[in-house]
Amino acid sequence: MTNGASPHKETNLWQSVLDRLKLWSRKHSPWLIHFNSGSCNGCDIEILATLTPRYDAERFGVQLHGSPRHADILICTGPVTRQARERLLRTYEQMPNPKYVIAVGACAITGGTFAGCYNVIGHIDEVIPVDVYVPGCPPRPEAIIDALVILLQKMSTNGPKIEEAVS
Amino acid sequence: MTELLQVLVTMLFFPAGLFLLANAMFYQWIDRKLVARLQDRVGPPWYQPLADTVKLLANEEVLPFGVNKWLFIGLPIIGLAGALTTALYLPIAGLPPAYGFPGDLIVTVYMLSMLTLCLGLAGANTRDRFSMVGATRTLTQLFSYEAPFLLALLGPALAAGSWQLSDIMAYASGNWLLLTQPIGFVVVIIGLMGKLEITPFDAPEAETEIVAGALTEYSGRGLALFRLGQWVELVIGLTMIAAFYLGGIHNPLDYVIKTLFPLLIIAGLQTLMTRLRIDQTVGMWWRYGALLALVQWLLIFLMGGGQ
Repeated sequence: MTNGASPHKETNLWQSVLDRLKLWSRKHSPWLIHFNSGSCNGCDIEILATLTPRYDAERFGVQLHGSPRHADILICTGPVTRQARERLLRTYEQMPNPKYVIAVGACAITGGTFAGCYNVIGHIDEVIPVDVYVPGCPPRPEAIIDALVILLQKMSTNGPKIEEAVS
Repeated sequence: MTELLQVLVTMLFFPAGLFLLANAMFYQWIDRKLVARLQDRVGPPWYQPLADTVKLLANEEVLPFGVNKWLFIGLPIIGLAGALTTALYLPIAGLPPAYGFPGDLIVTVYMLSMLTLCLGLAGANTRDRFSMVGATRTLTQLFSYEAPFLLALLGPALAAGSWQLSDIMAYASGNWLLLTQPIGFVVVIIGLMGKLEITPFDAPEAETEIVAGALTEYSGRGLALFRLGQWVELVIGLTMIAAFYLGGIHNPLDYVIKTLFPLLIIAGLQTLMTRLRIDQTVGMWWRYGALLALVQWLLIFLMGGGQ
């Protein structure tokens, strides 16, 4: 346990090989769960378009899963309404570690056109930690795929850190 | 000592252990790639099932509130073990089966059902309502395809006059049962699709209505083992079809060609059809599947195939 907690973690070869294998598998098998916390559905249509044969996100190993227990990446759209806050938090907490979040669309980043509404709490960042933001109203599927690739690159630079921070 | 070593190699490497797992991942990739190409997509790279499995094994496994802990942890292991055990009685990669006794056909078929049973129990074990609905549907589907599937597999056994897999294969090597028992071939292919919950029969894990069926609460290791079990079942089913209906398996090349042919049919059907409701699935199996298998039996008796 002392080895795991110390900053010098490259102590044994077996551990480092295992870590690299884990990182490789995570980068090649990102499974998504899609959550709409109050969006107008524009971004959701674009996310679905990303998964259709024309853009074929399965090239990168991306699969859309229904259960938060199966997913690694929460891809959420829209501002967070008072009703959706609880559900968004619960969905996030049900995902197994390590987990990542992509916020898609202007509303997810700032609240967008819904900012200041009586029933809106704010943007996604105020409820759960976000790893990658995709601006646009709505963003094109190319932008969403780009965000995925950025997230996968981010995993190799600070992936283990996130895992440590959570545990 | 050498005997013990032989048993260990049989169980851990070939045919039942690592070789079968690698084989299962490869065939799963071929299935996904074929479906992708048929849908005019590029499809996943060859290491996709391996990456999925390693990632799931590395992920956290969440133990949900209110489950029986031992069942939750043990069921995926038992299911996968059941699927792997069947490989001992089958000519995997064209080599003669490692073990065999009169009646191993029945044991093989029921070992394959163990995974489905474990899936049903796993769904019923959690308190999640989606898992519960999924478990009910899984077991309902088990009762609907199992009888026609078994009846269709018993067709070659009747013709060969033996319930031992190696005897049936020896008989099937002489005459292609695909030509003499075409109805049984159709029933057994569709039965395999029902067993694996492949698309027209995927009501038990319908993600648009019941999240992920019985596996909704499973994450990490449990999910990986259940998925591996299903992939192993695909290989086992294809091997059985090739050994019974496509003139037996005699060498590794023969094995690859003859198992890829039914896989191509399955991938094609998977792309062409949409999901059936659970009552449609059950109705189809009992009204047409079982009837067709019985017609096949009648034909075997009339042609004088059954000694």
